[in-house]
Amino acid sequence: MKRYLPILMFSALLSGCDVPIDLDLDQTPPEVTIEALLTNRPGEPFVRVTLSVDFYYEGHATRLNDAIVTLRNDLGQSVAFSHYAGGSADSVGYYLPPEGFAGQVGRIYTLTVFAQGKTFEATDSLKYVTSIDSLSYRPNRFAEQDPPSDGKTYELLIYAKEPQESKDYYLVKYYRNDSLTYNGDSDVYVLDDYGVGENIDGVPSAVLYSDNDLARIEMFSLTREGFLFYNDLVTIMNSDGGMFSPPPANPRTNFSNGALGFFQVSAASERSIVVDY
Amino acid sequence: MRILILFIFACTNAIGQNFTVSGYIKDEDNGEELIGVTVLVGETTTGTTTNAYGFYSITLPKGSYNLRFSYVGYRLQSIPITLDQNISRNISLVTEAIDMDEVVITGERIDANVTDLQMSKTKLNLAQVRKLPAVMGEVDIIKAIQLQPGVISAGEGTSSFFVRGGSADQNLILIDEAPIYDPSHLFGLFSVFNADVIKDSELYRGGIPSRFGGRLSSILEVRTKDGNNKEFGVTGGIGTLASRLMIEGPIVKDKASFIVSGRRSYTEIFTPLISDQDNQVFFHDINAKVNWKVKNNNRFFAAFYSGRDSFSFEDTFGFSWGNQTGTLRWNHLFSDRLFSNMTAIASNFDYKLELRDPVQGFSWKSNLRQFSVNTDLGFYINTRNELTFGYHVSYREFQPGIIAPNTAGSVFYTVSIPRQYVFENDLYVDNQQRIGEKLTLMYGARLSIFQNIGPSDVTTYADPQDNINIVRTGVQHYDRFEPVKTYVNVEPRFSLRYMVTPASSIKASYNRMVQNTHLIASGTVPIPFNTWNPSGPYLRPQLADQIALGYFQNLSRNRYELSLEGFYKDMTDVTDFADNAALFFNPDLAVEFRQGDSQAMGMEFSAQKKQGKLTGFASYTLSKVTRTIPGVNRGNPFPANHDRRNVGNVALTYDLSPGWSFGTIFTYSTGRPITMPAGRYEYGPYNVDLVTTRNGYRLPAYHRLDLSATFNPGVNRARKWRGQWVLSVYNVYNRKNPFTIYTRTAEDEEGKPIGDGTQKEARMIYLFPILPSITYNFKF
Repeated sequence: MKRYLPILMFSALLSGCDVPIDLDLDQTPPEVTIEALLTNRPGEPFVRVTLSVDFYYEGHATRLNDAIVTLRNDLGQSVAFSHYAGGSADSVGYYLPPEGFAGQVGRIYTLTVFAQGKTFEATDSLKYVTSIDSLSYRPNRFAEQDPPSDGKTYELLIYAKEPQESKDYYLVKYYRNDSLTYNGDSDVYVLDDYGVGENIDGVPSAVLYSDNDLARIEMFSLTREGFLFYNDLVTIMNSDGGMFSPPPANPRTNFSNGALGFFQVSAASERSIVVDY
Repeated sequence: MRILILFIFACTNAIGQNFTVSGYIKDEDNGEELIGVTVLVGETTTGTTTNAYGFYSITLPKGSYNLRFSYVGYRLQSIPITLDQNISRNISLVTEAIDMDEVVITGERIDANVTDLQMSKTKLNLAQVRKLPAVMGEVDIIKAIQLQPGVISAGEGTSSFFVRGGSADQNLILIDEAPIYDPSHLFGLFSVFNADVIKDSELYRGGIPSRFGGRLSSILEVRTKDGNNKEFGVTGGIGTLASRLMIEGPIVKDKASFIVSGRRSYTEIFTPLISDQDNQVFFHDINAKVNWKVKNNNRFFAAFYSGRDSFSFEDTFGFSWGNQTGTLRWNHLFSDRLFSNMTAIASNFDYKLELRDPVQGFSWKSNLRQFSVNTDLGFYINTRNELTFGYHVSYREFQPGIIAPNTAGSVFYTVSIPRQYVFENDLYVDNQQRIGEKLTLMYGARLSIFQNIGPSDVTTYADPQDNINIVRTGVQHYDRFEPVKTYVNVEPRFSLRYMVTPASSIKASYNRMVQNTHLIASGTVPIPFNTWNPSGPYLRPQLADQIALGYFQNLSRNRYELSLEGFYKDMTDVTDFADNAALFFNPDLAVEFRQGDSQAMGMEFSAQKKQGKLTGFASYTLSKVTRTIPGVNRGNPFPANHDRRNVGNVALTYDLSPGWSFGTIFTYSTGRPITMPAGRYEYGPYNVDLVTTRNGYRLPAYHRLDLSATFNPGVNRARKWRGQWVLSVYNVYNRKNPFTIYTRTAEDEEGKPIGDGTQKEARMIYLFPILPSITYNFKF
């Protein structure tokens, strides 16, 4: 909550009064971007390698299909990720591990990516994640007074126990009828447990649902580096240009050698409920 | 102490047969002591100026003299005296009627622009400030200060300003000697200073005398009126957004008086018109003062200020902040050459944020408290030497934040960021010496002994600069008043003035300033929740060395004042933060500090016309300020957030007749530097800006024209009630002045992403469009 304060204040005060402006920017050499996820659920781990583009470039980032990706753990075991050949143009740039491969809680993993003639390496640990005990739902106070056109008026209430003896960080993803959903296109739901007690008794979800939706919540454990990365990502995506918030800066990454992106290693827990009001 | 003073007095007296003439200079109508009145002997430039309490003292050889008293806005007075013993002469100056006639000037006017030793200083003429266009009809001294050369406005949304390459926290703002930590009300539309109550306001940008310290770049010293000690009066105004009322009068005629003033906004009426959300914004403030004289050589003052801003958003989220100050002062004349002032000061600055929610509700409070005792002495040795010395002791308490749940079911528990305590001792001395007829020097120094003290538990870190893996290696405990960290600094101060001709002079100055109270602010606009932090084990004092050189010329018998000043300021250990620093409520804030160097240089030009139907001033400042901070921008130099290459201001007032006057302000400033993306990349579903250099881009320039018309009906009648209508228009040509630029996914009119959602756009936010207002001011 505290990290959102400048953003909250900013948007609360200065709603409206904005106009488009064209920035006169120089060209910039493309930089390697690596998006890597390793969880304890088979079929989920992947690595995606792309290049950055100019700010006003129209279209997706350039995908690289010739990177060499390997993963090893702290026991010395290693596994190679190979480029996923089948599928559509959208799957170019994805690298997958052997079928059925997943991470294990308590292990430390190092990912090595060789792309564009440079080697990038990152290390992260798989931390335990608490389970979501149960979910319930109720109409959201604001949506009830002012119903939105898409009918999303219900919020989920989350019940869980937060481990007090460890310092934990979480990334939360919401799914609506099996597709990933967000409130706004620059939302990231990431939390730390500073100031949070043991009993999470009905904390409302950040996302709203409509009647008959299949709502699913996933919680991923993050290391401190993962938490800082996502936090920095939220900050740069919501920057007000340095008026109240700090000047924008690239998110802190665990990759060496100047790669953008992050190698996230997490345990996942999930729970679903159907909204039937 | 008394014996030492008498000894010095007796010594200097024994040298020749010298006698002293001293006294207080007041306004004839309301008894207010006048600050900075020029007192000259005969036709020479020998003399002095009245101090902050209207006191002057001149020691001369036995003989007959003509003393001349000159002050802007008042009629010149010439008093013959015979000095064959120490005498006291209290003078009352009469306000000058508006000089309608351009040609005739009565008497020789002596002007401070050329003769004053003090360079890089602006003394605001409140009568002139009142005639300038005022935002929302409210006369604001901060707005007038932002038009001065060398001063750059921090922009809309705040009353803060930057002086000679210094950031917004490098200005010491004092009201009757008590510090004010945030001078804004209502997003900078108003400032904490109620112009009705202000007597004198002086801004020092360079050549800062040794009695001031604690901030690197400027001192804004504001003194409030003492209250009319001859008769009761009521002054007030009803404006578009706020109203004010002031009552003053004698308690015992000519001996004791009081003044009370209050302001309140009623913007709650307007906010529903601007947005359909239930937002409430308002402010109020109160100024009160009482003063009384005991016998002839003692004077006591008690002053109080309290102001508060409050904002609430849909009844769920609220924040408020405010300054409160109280001072008790005692002026004592040890002799007619030794003037002393002792002030006890208490000040509190606090803010509070609240989120009202059954599950996530919390309140966050923070405050900064200060108690000081200042002792200042002025010893008027002879006509060639004036010694000023003193001792200031302060105790400060910093409470950076307490976050607490505000409902039973809240998921938060109480956490408090540790308090810090400060004990500071400052000693200073300076002498102002006249050498020959043309040269005056001021030299002196300030010694600052700063201590961060206990009770305190200081965390030690394996690497105090690592903000990713914060490894705490232990906690060191300090008892109450036990020093945690001590910083001792000597600040030399030096100024000189050389009169080339009676109408022109060259001035030069050097000063070193030390700052031990730092504002943890990262954006350009300081928001009230930025916390103040004292120097300590992880934060070193900031230092600045400034040299300035200027040429001052008056033309046409002092009708026009011109000045050209250049400055260079070298700052070390300016505070900045690591990229992506977590500044809000961070118990390990120390690991985010990054201190480095900054250099500022510039040239300031100003022209003023103070007499005639058309009066006003124009100023132009060319300046540059860069920072080099290890760990920021890869250690490469970058433009500071407050760098504005060209700044120009013109403020004019035209008195058409006693009933009508018109005013205009035009201001121009280069846009602020901003960090803009050089490219973009994808991560998951997100389209993220790629940043390469800090502050590599510039916002478009800021410029604006304001106009005002003031109508004084019935100005000739002898009626008690005097009313005045002021119509003012802010931003006459409705320029959309950039407040900031932000980026987002390109959207169409309905807010839907264009195409496949990969396109990005930049948007510029602007704050105030054209704002007309009407105010009715009254006085009786």
